[in-house]
Amino acid sequence: MISRIAYVLRETAASFQRNLTLTVAAVITAAVSLLIFGLTLIIQHGFDNLLAQWEGGVEMIVHVNAGAGDAQRAVIEEALVQQEGITIDSWRYCDVTCSLADADRLLAGDPTTRELLTAENITTQYKVVPMDATQVDILRGLRDRYLGLPNVNTVQLAEEQLDLISELQGFVSTYTTGLWIALMAAASLLIWNTIRTAMFARRREIEVMKLVGATDWFIRLPFMLEGLLHGLIGGVLASGALWFINDRWTAGVQGFPDNSGMTALVVVDGYQWQVALIILVFGSIVGTVGSGTAASRFLDV
Amino acid sequence: MIRLENVTKSYSEEVIALRDASFEVAKGEFVFLVGPSGSGKSTLLRLLNRQERPELGAVWVAGRNIVDMPANRVPMLRRNIGNVFQDYKLLLNKTVFENVAFALEVIGRPKHVITQQVPAVLELVGLAGKEDRFPDQLSGGEQQRVSVARAFVNRPLILIADEPTGNLDPATGEGIMRLLDRINATGTTVVMATHDQRIVDSMRKRVIQLDRGTIVRDQARGVYQ
Repeated sequence: MISRIAYVLRETAASFQRNLTLTVAAVITAAVSLLIFGLTLIIQHGFDNLLAQWEGGVEMIVHVNAGAGDAQRAVIEEALVQQEGITIDSWRYCDVTCSLADADRLLAGDPTTRELLTAENITTQYKVVPMDATQVDILRGLRDRYLGLPNVNTVQLAEEQLDLISELQGFVSTYTTGLWIALMAAASLLIWNTIRTAMFARRREIEVMKLVGATDWFIRLPFMLEGLLHGLIGGVLASGALWFINDRWTAGVQGFPDNSGMTALVVVDGYQWQVALIILVFGSIVGTVGSGTAASRFLDV
Repeated sequence: MIRLENVTKSYSEEVIALRDASFEVAKGEFVFLVGPSGSGKSTLLRLLNRQERPELGAVWVAGRNIVDMPANRVPMLRRNIGNVFQDYKLLLNKTVFENVAFALEVIGRPKHVITQQVPAVLELVGLAGKEDRFPDQLSGGEQQRVSVARAFVNRPLILIADEPTGNLDPATGEGIMRLLDRINATGTTVVMATHDQRIVDSMRKRVIQLDRGTIVRDQARGVYQ
């Protein structure tokens, strides 16, 4: 077993050196496509942060002054209950803990502002799901009515930011997804071609191996390992680049105006490490599949 | 050890390499396959290690019909068959030792077996002391000896040789034949395709003659013609 492992590793290393230019091209292509794949996931997560407060069909948020107690909020809740089944489908109260969690995501890129928010000064929220989200006039009427209630700080409507962001999210994710799929296909084909070239360069060895009784899997293995390494190295490079870009973006966003909405478009919650892991696994799979297909297809060189 | 039963192999409707060929080779026998180019000698050898499959008939090797043998069993079959070729098929980037060791390495033999068996077989073929040379540093005869060593290092039951002396001068060819004879004396069955009349006539082994895919003569202690 040890001699077989040593053989596979030695042959893989030799093949890497033999096809250096093709290997470099395959690794770079894999890295670029995996980077765009990772960026797609990160951007998607950033948009999710931005839209976090509107999850679950929420179309209106009533912000309540900090420190308002149960008795003071009862007026607001009474007004909401009155509309239940008429214009409001459901509503829920987002308390201090819930509102701080929302702030964590919305102000992820602006830690200075986030630090100013505490349990004592943050506004809590009523999140309202309307009967019909398309009836904008009714929602505006509700907003005007709730703004007049005591202890209501502001009332936000989703239409003011949600539609634009959703459209932007769809646009960005469609094109970045298309791009990484195309590039990943290119990387896979390049790995496929690299392995084909490697097998052609070693056709006499393969012929001898088959004649002396090596199994097809034993012959394939160094080539598959080579493809796996193409994908894995590409994944490592892509993860490094992704970390760098995310770090620079996060630092840059802090300089944006507070009302730019960009402060939520960052990923600082460890999600980038999950993405790095996904990239490494995905890169390895693509590399192995590309090389495995070539190794099976061209075994009879 | 080897039995062909009514074997027919064609490459197209016009090109029939073997027609209804039947013969048997006992364990430890030495058999020459003779006949003009295109008579089916190489095809017959390729049938023995399952590089080719016949359309009709059965090919028995070491007690098993290999025609319908599953593909994953073929490597095991080939571990019992050594191959020697006219063009040696040596790996030019490997030394003599590495070329021979390669045959053991790729079937998973442990290192201590390789370090024990390779020098022994190189001694047998007369290449002791040349382990570190590369093929292009050897004569044609020496390269063929490496090829024989690689074929025999795993102690196969059968050794098939396709024109092993075809690229060698007569004296060197005789040396290779003495080597194959010595290997045959250890109990290994040898089947050799050749055009070399002088060698066949001098060794007086069994001769199977092919003509356009048909066995036209099977003679014990035979001669070329």
